[in-house]
Amino acid sequence: MTNTLKISKNTRETWAYGFFGILVFLFMWQLACLYTNFGKIFPTPVYSLRAFLEAFIKPIGKYTLLGHIAISLKRVLIGYALSSVSGILIGLAMGHSKMIHAIIYPIFSIIRPIPGIAWIPLAILWIGIGEPTIYFIIFMGGFSQMVMNTMDGAQHVSKELIGVAKVLGARENQIFRKIVLPYCVPYIFTGLQTSLSTSWMAVLAAEMITAREGAGWLILAGMQTGRIENNVIGMISIGGVGLILASLLRDSERRLCRWSVRSR
Amino acid sequence: MKEKTKYIFISIASLLTFILIWQLVSTTGIISARKLPDPVKLFETFLYKLTNKNPDGNVLGVHIWMSLKEALIGFFFGIVIGVPLGISMAWFDKFDKFFRPLFDLIKPIPPVGWVPIMITFFGIGIMSKVSVIFIAAFIPAVINSYSGIKQTKDVHKWVARTFGASNGQVLFTVAIPSAAPMIFTGARVALNGSWVSLVAAELIASTKGLGYMIQTARLVGRIDVVFVGVLVIGLFGAAMMEGLSFLERKFVKGGRRK
Amino acid sequence: MVSTKPVTTDKTIIKLENLSKSFQVDQGEALILDDINLAIEENEFLVLFGAGQCGKTTLLKMLAGLESITDGQIVIEDKPLVGMDPRVGMVYQTTALFPWLTVMGNVEFGPKARGVSKKERREKAQYYIDLVGLNSFEKHFPVMLSGGMQQRVGIARAYCNDPEIILMDEPFGHLDAQTRYMMEEEVEKIWEKEKRTVIFVTNNIEEALYLADRIVILTECPAKIKKEYKIDLPRPRNLVSPDFLELREEISALVELREGAE
Repeated sequence: MTNTLKISKNTRETWAYGFFGILVFLFMWQLACLYTNFGKIFPTPVYSLRAFLEAFIKPIGKYTLLGHIAISLKRVLIGYALSSVSGILIGLAMGHSKMIHAIIYPIFSIIRPIPGIAWIPLAILWIGIGEPTIYFIIFMGGFSQMVMNTMDGAQHVSKELIGVAKVLGARENQIFRKIVLPYCVPYIFTGLQTSLSTSWMAVLAAEMITAREGAGWLILAGMQTGRIENNVIGMISIGGVGLILASLLRDSERRLCRWSVRSR
Repeated sequence: MKEKTKYIFISIASLLTFILIWQLVSTTGIISARKLPDPVKLFETFLYKLTNKNPDGNVLGVHIWMSLKEALIGFFFGIVIGVPLGISMAWFDKFDKFFRPLFDLIKPIPPVGWVPIMITFFGIGIMSKVSVIFIAAFIPAVINSYSGIKQTKDVHKWVARTFGASNGQVLFTVAIPSAAPMIFTGARVALNGSWVSLVAAELIASTKGLGYMIQTARLVGRIDVVFVGVLVIGLFGAAMMEGLSFLERKFVKGGRRK
Repeated sequence: MVSTKPVTTDKTIIKLENLSKSFQVDQGEALILDDINLAIEENEFLVLFGAGQCGKTTLLKMLAGLESITDGQIVIEDKPLVGMDPRVGMVYQTTALFPWLTVMGNVEFGPKARGVSKKERREKAQYYIDLVGLNSFEKHFPVMLSGGMQQRVGIARAYCNDPEIILMDEPFGHLDAQTRYMMEEEVEKIWEKEKRTVIFVTNNIEEALYLADRIVILTECPAKIKKEYKIDLPRPRNLVSPDFLELREEISALVELREGAE
């Protein structure tokens, strides 16, 4: 009884402080807009909120806000799926076989430190402006992280567990499927998480530079047309969508890796 | 030992084969040199760019210097402000409650998303880039130092308290040292994020820097310069990470995995 | 009641003949096992006892096919052992359960890998899960279980694969004393019910005396057979009976003496 009371008091305090913090922030934003030069280039919070709500029905450029977000989502999911699948496969191969590691790793380590976004100019010259270029950039954003994390897992597979499986009668071809693969799953999830946020960043950059629609374009167009409220709207939506994607992923990890200590 | 030498040999052979095939593929014209310049040509372009201002108005060294300066200034301020903020949020409850929701609002926005707004505020000079990079470094710095402090083992804190340490002493002698590995992890994520955001910011709007160099070269169709720029970006990214790892090995003793 | 002569057997299931093992080290070769000769009877509970770190686990790993043989041979039912053998099962020092598999998944791993039909292997696994007292924990993952329960899963997993010989490598070394006593009783009960040959490694003398038909005492590096005791005390054994305590005294003295000598 006393315990629940304590908790609810604590929660109430958390809410109160948090609410207060955000209020102070909005208030300062509003004041800055009203009384300083800041207001000449930047919309007030009230105006931004109205613009945000309007954007659901009134198109900006070719689409409404939801339309732009849907386009960005589609792009990110395609590029992300491609980079995840190929990253996992190559990572597993490099982690499992020392020979494949010796062959691929030196070439891979030239590509690895190059940020996905730095491929934008090359991608445009190679593929031209269009959807495949954007997929390629997102792919390059997530690929090396997927490879590194998966490889890390496959290289550290417990030798003891492999021995256990062999003593129990598992054959060489079963070892990979039954021991190496499940062992790598938590590592793969770590890779999926970091790669998701880089992919989301890559799609924004790609859209700012090469597209005429999508959340990244929305933000940039806001700047170019002097309609900063679109800029603010775009950032809020991007943050929201990024948050939702990350928590969906965390949720599925918790479901799939109930056995792993990390996800508990 | 013998096996290790064998794999090193295979790695070198693989790398040489890769470069050789690349050279052959583009000199024989299987892939046009306008799409894929050969390694020899790239090396020549690299030397050329060291002294020549074409096509983007500055020699390679100036671009590198500009990019490094922007990235490191932004990174520096991100760490210097982010780490103490993360530590204070983790140590002082009221601080946490006040800043947490605000921070949670900013956290999920990718740093690239800030580029246009910063350009609106500060123009396309160095300030807009530094502030984007600041955000890119600031967020992981806060997150990691926060969780580093939160993970301080209670038993360590109790030990310090039974020896009569004050709250402040516990923070500085127990909590912060035990959070150091996490803080460095945060710095590594921050540095990586800084470099990525720098390239993005320079691609979108700038007048100098490696990102600007490859974007301009792309516009005039100088794919060799683009290639050189991309490779230099990778090289310096890797070099800075190595530098940070070096610092980490020097300052963090014990308790670090691997 | 107590004989210290080597045991002669009629139904020998496993024979170690002039078995030696050495490892390659920087300075040359390190001899770990030196000329071990041992015959183990069918259904015997044999304990390998020694205070040091040396040799015991390596010997078990050789029996399991996880370590190569440097010299001599291991013969199981007249056939020399080459590599892994389905007739040998093992319970490990660390529980070595597959963390991503449930209790059921772990126990049925062996039959599943060998392609036993789902219905058959499930029935069998269920039988052994019940036997070790884990009924209703089938769907739990190892992280959710206590150390003692995890080791029960390890035992069920080894038995479920139908080996004729079960190797146990200090399986209760990491458990607290109370749980350890319980597990020792459990192992004895299962052994009496299932009748397989068990080779059990320990450095706990009470555990050795409680479980063994025969105790083989190994020396420190390199491990040699120092002495054998056939234990004829009635089961389940009373840990404070005079005979038990006398044997305990004698073996302790023997091990300490040797350590003092070296």
